[in-house]
Amino acid sequence: MRSTQNVVAAEEVARLGHYSDPPMLVLASLANGPKHGHAMIEDIVRLCGTRLGPGTLYGAIARLEQQGWIEPLPPEERRRPYRITAAGVRVLRAKLTTLWQFAKAGLERLEA
Amino acid sequence: MNPKLAHLLVCLYPRPWRERYGAEFEALLQTGGSGLRASANVVWSALSERLFPTSELQMEQSQFQSWCVRAPWAMFGLAPLFLLVGAYFVACLILWSGWKVFLPGTSTPFVPVDGFAVLYFGAGRWLYYLAPILIGWGIGFTAARQRLTAIWPTVGLVLVAWIGGFSRVHASRPAVPGRVGHISMDLALGPSVQGISHGLFRALLIFSLTILPYVILRLQKAHSLSP
Repeated sequence: MRSTQNVVAAEEVARLGHYSDPPMLVLASLANGPKHGHAMIEDIVRLCGTRLGPGTLYGAIARLEQQGWIEPLPPEERRRPYRITAAGVRVLRAKLTTLWQFAKAGLERLEA
Repeated sequence: MNPKLAHLLVCLYPRPWRERYGAEFEALLQTGGSGLRASANVVWSALSERLFPTSELQMEQSQFQSWCVRAPWAMFGLAPLFLLVGAYFVACLILWSGWKVFLPGTSTPFVPVDGFAVLYFGAGRWLYYLAPILIGWGIGFTAARQRLTAIWPTVGLVLVAWIGGFSRVHASRPAVPGRVGHISMDLALGPSVQGISHGLFRALLIFSLTILPYVILRLQKAHSLSP
């Protein structure tokens, strides 16, 4: 009974620990090179454990492209890769820096 | 995912979105988007895209949008009113024809029925009760999608809730025994305090139910626009 509760609690913590901000996840995924949709989904799973739904992914892609933070590359067969733009890199860096400062301060408070 | 299902799901998106992303999105669904969860995700995303289209892809809805801006009184006042009147007319027609077919000779159609008559009268009853709510949701979705101020949608919702709350159906006895009587509707407040409070309660219930999706959609929109 106790072990079952522990497993459930661990799963709950893992689930709650998932970072879910689709546009930022897409930008982070493209930070190390262009990718198409399926590659982005798998990369984001490896990156933080969050599996974006296909509709959520393309919702984020459409809005990021509209904001000029990512751009499409010529299609490879039916799949189209995307790459992050210079503006996208600036946004991602700023956002991650803020997150890092926030996470650092929060963890310090927990350990104090 | 099954190619036919993938194609069907892509069709849920607005045309300009499909023209831009349709082919690559369909390819993604076919290779990696299997399962009920993925399908539900696509349906929800398609609905969101229809409600809050990506602005560069904003589709030839300018005509509709201009109507919402130029004549909000017509879009959120007259149009819902006509729709509601039409729905009530059909509901009354169902009641009258059901009375004629299933209950000939009775002095009122508001008596217990059985068999197919339950379904027939039930359809009319559902239409009568659901029409204000569905029309109110239509007002809310339209207003949220067009990003209009809350004044006209609220006026429309109050109007629909008021009519939905205070409308009454009456069945008058047939003048000649064996013939079908008349069905009529009115918006009378009623002679009793109880009747007024009952109507107010129904109006408030309809208003609460119909404004809820509008508020949720506006909040969701505000959330999705935040960086």
